[in-house]
Amino acid sequence: MRSTAPIKSSRPAVSWACALAACLPAAAAATEGLEHFEKRVRPLLAAQCQACHNAQLQSGGIDLASADGFAKARDEAALISVEDPASSRLLAIVGYAARVKMPPGGKLPDEDLEVLGRWVREGAPWPGAKLQEAVLPDSERGAFTEEQLGYWAFQPVSEPQPPAVSDLSWPRGAIDRFILAKLEQEGLAPAPPVGRLAWLRRAHFDLTGLPPSSDEALAFAADRSPGAWERAVDRLLASPRYGERWGRHWLDVARYADSTGNDEDHRYPYAWKYRDYVIEAFNSDLPYDRFVTEQIAGDLLSAEPDPRGIIATGFLALGPKAIAQQDKTRMLYDVYDEQIEVVSKAMLGLTVACARCHDHKFDPILTKDYYSLAGIFASTRSFRDAEAHVSRMLLKPLVPQEQYERYQAEQMAIKNRRIERDNVGDIEIEQLVEAEASRVADYMLAARRAYEDGEDADSVAAAEAMDAGRLAKWIAYLQPAQPERAQLASWHAAGPGQRAEAAAAYQRRFAGTLEEWHHTIRRWRKDTIELIRNGTMPPRPKPRFQAGRDRFFFDVYEAKGGPLSFRGEERDRALRPETLAAMRRLSEELEELERGALPEPPMANAVEDGEPVEQRVFVRGDYSAEGEPAPKVFPAILAGFDQQPVRTGSGRLELARWIASPSNPLTARVMANRIWQKHFGQGIVRTPSNFGKLGSAPTHPELLDWLAAKFVEDGWSVKAMHRRILLSSTYRASSATSAPAAASDPENLWLSRFHRRRLDVEELRDGMLALDGSVDYTTGGTLQTGSGTDRENSNDRLSIDPATSPRRLVYLPLRRANLPTLLNLFDFGDAVTSLGKRPVTNVAPQALFMMNSEFVARRASNLARLLLAAAPGEDAERARRAHLAVLTREPSAAEVDTALSYTARLRVRFPEASEQDAWASYCRILLASNEFLYID
Amino acid sequence: MTHKTARGDGGREPLTRRGMLREGACGFGMLALAGLLDDDRLRAASVRLDGADPLAVREPHFAPRAKRVIFLFMHGGPSSVDTFEYKPYLEKNHGRPLPIERPLAFDDEEPGPLMKPLWEFRPGGESGIPVSDLFPHVRECADELCLIHSMVGEGVDHGAALLQTFTGSSTFTRPSLGSWVVYGLGTENANLPGYVTIKPALSHGGAKNWSSAFLPGSFQGTPIGHAGLQVADVRGEPIEYLANQRLSAERQRWELDMLRNVNRRHAEARRHDPRLEARIQSFELAFRMQMQAPEAFEVEKESAATQRLYGLDDPVTADFGWQCLLARRLCERDVRFVQCTHSYKWDQHSDLYNRHNANAAEVDRPIAGLLRDLRSRGLLEDTLVIWAGEFGRTPVSQGGDGRDHNPYGYTIWMAGAGVKRGHRYGATDEIGYHAAVNRMHIHDFHATVLHLLGLDHENLTYRFSGRDFRLTDVAGLVHRDILA
Repeated sequence: MRSTAPIKSSRPAVSWACALAACLPAAAAATEGLEHFEKRVRPLLAAQCQACHNAQLQSGGIDLASADGFAKARDEAALISVEDPASSRLLAIVGYAARVKMPPGGKLPDEDLEVLGRWVREGAPWPGAKLQEAVLPDSERGAFTEEQLGYWAFQPVSEPQPPAVSDLSWPRGAIDRFILAKLEQEGLAPAPPVGRLAWLRRAHFDLTGLPPSSDEALAFAADRSPGAWERAVDRLLASPRYGERWGRHWLDVARYADSTGNDEDHRYPYAWKYRDYVIEAFNSDLPYDRFVTEQIAGDLLSAEPDPRGIIATGFLALGPKAIAQQDKTRMLYDVYDEQIEVVSKAMLGLTVACARCHDHKFDPILTKDYYSLAGIFASTRSFRDAEAHVSRMLLKPLVPQEQYERYQAEQMAIKNRRIERDNVGDIEIEQLVEAEASRVADYMLAARRAYEDGEDADSVAAAEAMDAGRLAKWIAYLQPAQPERAQLASWHAAGPGQRAEAAAAYQRRFAGTLEEWHHTIRRWRKDTIELIRNGTMPPRPKPRFQAGRDRFFFDVYEAKGGPLSFRGEERDRALRPETLAAMRRLSEELEELERGALPEPPMANAVEDGEPVEQRVFVRGDYSAEGEPAPKVFPAILAGFDQQPVRTGSGRLELARWIASPSNPLTARVMANRIWQKHFGQGIVRTPSNFGKLGSAPTHPELLDWLAAKFVEDGWSVKAMHRRILLSSTYRASSATSAPAAASDPENLWLSRFHRRRLDVEELRDGMLALDGSVDYTTGGTLQTGSGTDRENSNDRLSIDPATSPRRLVYLPLRRANLPTLLNLFDFGDAVTSLGKRPVTNVAPQALFMMNSEFVARRASNLARLLLAAAPGEDAERARRAHLAVLTREPSAAEVDTALSYTARLRVRFPEASEQDAWASYCRILLASNEFLYID
Repeated sequence: MTHKTARGDGGREPLTRRGMLREGACGFGMLALAGLLDDDRLRAASVRLDGADPLAVREPHFAPRAKRVIFLFMHGGPSSVDTFEYKPYLEKNHGRPLPIERPLAFDDEEPGPLMKPLWEFRPGGESGIPVSDLFPHVRECADELCLIHSMVGEGVDHGAALLQTFTGSSTFTRPSLGSWVVYGLGTENANLPGYVTIKPALSHGGAKNWSSAFLPGSFQGTPIGHAGLQVADVRGEPIEYLANQRLSAERQRWELDMLRNVNRRHAEARRHDPRLEARIQSFELAFRMQMQAPEAFEVEKESAATQRLYGLDDPVTADFGWQCLLARRLCERDVRFVQCTHSYKWDQHSDLYNRHNANAAEVDRPIAGLLRDLRSRGLLEDTLVIWAGEFGRTPVSQGGDGRDHNPYGYTIWMAGAGVKRGHRYGATDEIGYHAAVNRMHIHDFHATVLHLLGLDHENLTYRFSGRDFRLTDVAGLVHRDILA
């Protein structure tokens, strides 16, 4: 087992706090130590160090003139090692044993060194230089308060009986009785039921994110047989569109995106597989407990790796990451923090990540609870190479290991063959350049005659037996340019009489660098050939010349367009025909290898178990300040104090099982509340991801428990929850607000009416695409192109504009660093943190989108074309169809009249407008109307 | 609000928020009306947000010294020891090994030797502040500058450093400085966004550097194009969807009148829902904005002399000159926070001499032009100008002709409202590696900028995910010694 060992870090790993307990000197010794400090050490520091290392100058960032300054230098610059004082850096520095040697004027006499040595060995006491606060052991923390222990959300889910109500005609089921009982208590009456078509529009958008088609609307309006409503709900739940809609809700909670977001915004190449998994999980009504378990530990559920389970762990793998962060320990703990946050918010409705630096300020979540969870994720790998300059994320093959290894071996063989082929040409080019090195000065002088003296370049080339093309490149390169290039300054400064001398100097330097560089290359080649011949070790890539070593050399030989840089066709022309033929033969072999190679096996962005870590608390969140051990257990307020810590493996599977358990008081409640919220606009708990003290209290606690209990009883079936809710009278209530309800319950806490809601960005955009028949219902797969990251500031860094693709929005890849404007405009969120409830804003730029975007203009004009074709010459029928399609209802006679007169008047007023233009204008009005945007 | 900057080259008084309210209309911008914010969000705010108009002007915590900010961002990290902090030690010890242990670096190669500044430093203005030959025009404005030589950040890579410069956090997604400012103060011109970022970088965090994160979306920056685009690509439609390419204004107005009728009828049948009326208003506001906002972007209407002052006459300076001149026009129209970005060009791990020369040539004249223009128009009295990269560069060479990233001690400068003129503050150690005197952490920098705007960084909070967040996290110190 490794302990929480940092790798590349800017902070020392050893903490003061934990070491302190072991080596705290006895009181008497402490006094003596301080005396030694005051008598001997302080004067020494004042005489030798403080001239530079004071609060003002802080040379090297170090202040040795004050207690605070010293404490900082001790901890942050790691001057003192508590675990092993004799090896403290301070002693190495003053002993002239480190690279840094202090004081700079000369080594201290031995006597002084011994003064410092004794002081350091005694723990470097300095009055007022505070040690980091030690964490008290568990037993001293005391139990939680009664209030905390009795907090509603931490109590087991009860199974309340639906209450008695006076009006027995209204309730269709238990939900309605809970709601009505509360309404009766508040003196409110439920709103009258909504019409069939309005209910259908509601159900369609709620379950599929799309409006009903006109045919579906007419059929439902006409279906008066028993069970019509049930059949409508079942039809919608069976549609693949359902998973796309409800999968998207979960993807909000899972802060899904296709790139890392921070710094480099690297693509997650296989994120889409997780997204498709989520959609499929909803479509197949995967039991929610299983869904939770797979997302945390899907890779650990069977002995043979199950591709689906591996993909599901994308939930943990796909968070925002700063992979170019150079303090790799910090980066890793930020990743674990992010994983704790998403698991606790999404699945438990708790904000556990608040406890990273101190005990949670509002909820009984201890810092130790946090680090117990951190230990689980620290024992889990999200990277295949975290220590790389830009850390490399873990990609897991979805095929058996031996198949993957075969694939890798083949790829290595291909790579090696490519090196061998390139070598053939490279060797010859290197010889060519070595021959040309002796003519560098000649070419430079010839170029100057052309660009400065005005001689004809071709004549000069002919006279000097030079290659005209190469001379042209020399001319282009050597001509003075603004701003002046440093590497050419002495060339340009050389007067007419000094030219030859200057050119010779450049040639000498070029030849010198060339010799060194070719030596490096040849050594690499020799090693490489050996590695390829006898080993499985992949060879190092060919070294690249660092421009800073010799910029003139780089410009001439290595840079694109340099006079002696041979690339592409130019390179082919320079090579001997037999060399080219040999390379061609090798290329053919290479192609054959590539043709016969296994295709890239399917892969996933996922996590896997790493080496188990014995996590400790980090005092104030600082990984260099380790506190008490934090064994792998679950938050004490929920799971109790007498837990058996997980001893083998990462603990992810145990965590998953603990969360996905009927006895966990939060899991079923949180999910039942999320489902409720998406149907009624507000949850029973209005803060869906925060069931803690700063969240809202449930408006209907018994109902919430009843729903949670039923959810578990139904085998955690989400679809059963939908059925129960959609077929209730509560869901069928109109959104009309009575005056008493508006007065006494303006926020509609008691659900006397349906909560009118605005379409979200998916419903708005997909809905409009569906209306004019443009939507492409292809499911799954990825639209992402490219790999890794992209050129700085290139358009490729942008996400695909939803206005340009006909696929449903859920299938468009999301680049976290640059989400599309449309998504920002309509409250999509930032795909960075778990989002349980999107805000709803109403801002003028949204209106501008409806008024001016090409997207809406096209929808309106397509819709008009459809109307014109479907009902040629029948304006009233067109008006009727337009209303039915966009608003899912028949228009009134007055509305038909309005439509007709509007389109006619428009053409009189603006004679340039065609009939289709007029109808397109009317359609845009319907699309931009409040009636379309809001669900009644 | 009667701001004296009404006199622009355009000559027309910009519509201010209060002015519009007088006319019976509400604001523009990323404006919003009733129902914009749900109750949770109103409760979460430490400032009193008006649910009907979160961008309404709010009183600062105390008397502000600055009303608005122009942030000139040099993406990539200009070298401090080659520009604004003269280090004679490096001249004397050129080629010697680094005498201290190198802190965490971006590149893992062994550190090169100390490298002297590659440009001459000369005194500028009456203050005689030494500025290198990279910035001859800015040097002439040295008396306007308040140099801060002791900046400290935590990010040693660009992504972390940008995020921290703009949001305070080098790792997490947090609201950006501009968002906090507009959240704290609102905006005075209803016709323009309160926070505009011109040609911002898409890399190194991209939009997260101007996002409002968990603050309401009204406070996010409005990008004008991005760093990968040419000015010519941006000019046509500076803000997405702002113009209608197909319909005449008259015909569009006609259509909108019908839409209003349709929506009114719908709303009348649904009383007690202010959101419906609010959305009706939003179309009216959008239409007005569409008619009036584009004028602010008409940089070409400026006089030839003004355009020359910013270097629009020279292809080398035209891009950044356009950004600076647009920034001035937006400030004149009371946009609260404007950022200009000199795209990712300053990252000289090699070829420092040539490329810093080229970079400085692109921005030197425009920046000096901006400072002079703001001064002559009286705008510098209540506008704070900030010049900064995400970090500086090491005093040791990298690969012989470059420098690596250095967030441990670097120079930025401010000018204008509320800061001392011709002043140097703080210092690095003699090598120029670590901030040594008056260290100003990025949190301190943010606290000080908020202070200049009349905001107390400890009391500008927003509750999210169970915590009261602020720009400066749990740190931040106002450096009063730079205040005028």
